[in-house]
Amino acid sequence: MAKETVMAGCSAAAHAAKAARVEVISSYPIRPYTGIMMELSKLVANGDLDAEFVHGEGEHAQVSIALGASASGARAYTGSSGVGVTYAMEVYSPTAGGRYPLQMSIADRALDPPGDFGSEHTDVMSARDQGWIMGWAETPQEVFDNTIMFYKIGEDSSVMLPQFCCQDGYFVSHIPGKVSIPEQSQVDEYLPAYKPHLPLDPTRPSSHGPQIYPDQGSAIDIQRAIAMINTPKVIEKAVADFNKQFGRNYSPFVEEYKCDDADFVFFLQGAHCRTARYAVDHLRKQGAKVGMVKLRFVRPFPTEAVAESLKKFKAVGTIETSTSYGGAMKGGNLIHEVRSACYDLPKGPAITSFMAGLGGEVVTLEEFYKMAKILAEAAKKGAIDQYVYWVNFDKGI
Amino acid sequence: MATKVQTQEMEIIKNMRQIPQEELYVPGHRTCAGCGPALCYKLVAKAAGKESIFLGPTGCMYVANTSYLCTPFAMPWTHTQITNGGAVASGIEAAYQVLIRKGKYKGKLPNIVVMAGDGGAIDIGLQAMSAMMYRGHDALFVMYDNESYANTGIQTSPMTPYGGKTTFTPPGKAVPEGKKLFPKDAPQLVIGGHPAVHYVATASVGYPVDLINKVRKGLNYKGPSFVHIHSPCPKGWIFDAKDTIKVAKQAVECGMWTNYEWENGEYTYQHIPKTYKPVKEFMKGQERFNHLTEEHIAKMQAFITAKIKAPGKPIEIPVLGPREEG
Amino acid sequence: MSKKYNENFNIPKHLEVPMGAVIPAPVKEQPAMKTGNWRTERPVIDHEKCTLCLNCFAYCPDSSWHLDEKGERMVWNPIYCKGCRVCVEVCPADALRNENEMDFKGGMARLDKPY
Repeated sequence: MAKETVMAGCSAAAHAAKAARVEVISSYPIRPYTGIMMELSKLVANGDLDAEFVHGEGEHAQVSIALGASASGARAYTGSSGVGVTYAMEVYSPTAGGRYPLQMSIADRALDPPGDFGSEHTDVMSARDQGWIMGWAETPQEVFDNTIMFYKIGEDSSVMLPQFCCQDGYFVSHIPGKVSIPEQSQVDEYLPAYKPHLPLDPTRPSSHGPQIYPDQGSAIDIQRAIAMINTPKVIEKAVADFNKQFGRNYSPFVEEYKCDDADFVFFLQGAHCRTARYAVDHLRKQGAKVGMVKLRFVRPFPTEAVAESLKKFKAVGTIETSTSYGGAMKGGNLIHEVRSACYDLPKGPAITSFMAGLGGEVVTLEEFYKMAKILAEAAKKGAIDQYVYWVNFDKGI
Repeated sequence: MATKVQTQEMEIIKNMRQIPQEELYVPGHRTCAGCGPALCYKLVAKAAGKESIFLGPTGCMYVANTSYLCTPFAMPWTHTQITNGGAVASGIEAAYQVLIRKGKYKGKLPNIVVMAGDGGAIDIGLQAMSAMMYRGHDALFVMYDNESYANTGIQTSPMTPYGGKTTFTPPGKAVPEGKKLFPKDAPQLVIGGHPAVHYVATASVGYPVDLINKVRKGLNYKGPSFVHIHSPCPKGWIFDAKDTIKVAKQAVECGMWTNYEWENGEYTYQHIPKTYKPVKEFMKGQERFNHLTEEHIAKMQAFITAKIKAPGKPIEIPVLGPREEG
Repeated sequence: MSKKYNENFNIPKHLEVPMGAVIPAPVKEQPAMKTGNWRTERPVIDHEKCTLCLNCFAYCPDSSWHLDEKGERMVWNPIYCKGCRVCVEVCPADALRNENEMDFKGGMARLDKPY
């Protein structure tokens, strides 16, 4: 019997790590993800989880400890937020390139300067080129479920990549929601023990990471590219199996909410999808033909699935909860990925972007209605006026 | 039912004859002819044995050994960043604790050895090394000391002696001695500050039996140990490759290097000369000191003399030899 | 919409890297880095003088000196010896001397294609 509980995202992550039978955990405190480690330390101290709980001396060390553990054949788990995520940046490529499928649970946080405990996706989005699987959860339940699914996907022999399992700081990490915790035997059936390809083991010695000729650099780089190309079909199967095993209803890549006859949609990931659903419901009552498309994986970016979904609409607005200073659209990150994905569509939507939900601000219903007005115009005209709107600051919107 | 983690007990040897003939650091590596750190690696690998896992933070003992896509390590080995040797070792040790406990690995705890250079141990890698010492992981941290960042072309490190010329401390009109700073005392960074550490030792490639025994003692002690090994570098210190062992011994004879052990608070010393030779002896054989004046050498001598006589070291200090040669 | 990803790659053999750059360990030597062709001099032993003190065996960074199987004689490995001459310096019995590599028929410098 599944256990029905109410808990916030941090606790959900911790209990999922326990259900996933993680073997080595490396901790370090930073708001707002610290709760994950506090909860896990209790589970280990009480003997509920047989794992080594290692107090890392910093986030860079956390990932390094997890890497060493994963290289030795243990299922490794760590996490961080904000500048902790960027501090560990040196170790992300060695982890992904070394094909160590550890998991880093992220409760995102705005980057310094200065200190800001609020949620923003920029911390982990900055690392998205390194070869890690990455996706946001909207609710504590999804945090729990993603933790287990991401291990299943990352440890697949055709993938073997580490994963960032992300949730919005405070909005998901600290606000309780219903979490159904499945029976351990069900989780064990879905997620078997980690099988490393060639671990550090005195009975079969190997050397991990010798120096290479520069010419060989692309030959090793392409391995990660191939792994990412293999990942979508692994995601499809892992999600389908998860839904079947645990009675959930996740789409693998994008979830469409009230999109069947929509003219324009909000495109976003993470916690603000919850508000978006309410906004869509309200706008629909007022006669707007609006929907929401929620992105479940930003890496590997589901190019085909996004294009397939968005081709139906006349206008799309990406809601950017991260920044890409100086980028092509001079705003956020999702716009670049979405415009690329839709570029080849014979008659694609007009695509614009909205800077909202940065620094920890809530994206209010009023802001959604503002965005809807702009998108409705774009849908009517079949073209956008601006690449990027700062929803609270642009004059005249 | 959890399986108890068993550790290996390495034998202390009496003489050269008892050095194992089998090579675990096999021939076929791109290190310089006469490389002190390579010799250090060979001896440490023999000390640790087959059931070990070695870590190579970036440095000469990574790049020179593993160019290209090949390694001389017959035991399991992994590269680490120069920053995180101690951290990755901690992760490996934690993994083996749980894998053995759960019955997934059926052997004894492997001898886990970090082979870090100056930087990887007490500069950019200091944080990770100290944390490994603090957390009590059952692993050994070896620092091969070639007194520079050698792999990147000889730059100053916190182990470069006062007056040591490197490409970041060239002598010139404004800075005649080249290097103004005195080096860190690496083992003293560990001793006394990490309650889980019971054994810290210094050794030299000039004294291989002593080196092997100290590595084995460090491995035998439960918890983390730190062994600091003097490994002269013909390229960086600028001397003929054939003199690597001569230079190593000179360092000990002049007091530039002292072989000792610290075990649970007690110091013991090895190879203490009856009379110390002047540091000038050590310095004259190496071009990296050629630019120094008598004044600089006197400063160095004063530093070394004070170090030899440092309080807390309960030994008889022999009288220092004459400063000027006859 | 068509997929537009090539999944057929042809990586030339000499550039191939195993997954994650994880390679099997060598066993007794590493033939991919033969360094015998570095030396200009090689150590020559006078077995009569040799006392089997094992200094050359202990101090060689490239493990080029070993006791033979019977434990009666020192054996030199020409494939990796870099000619650093440390062994000659540390021999207490004066049993080792340096000789010009060019003097040897099989000397590295003479090979048309050393390795």
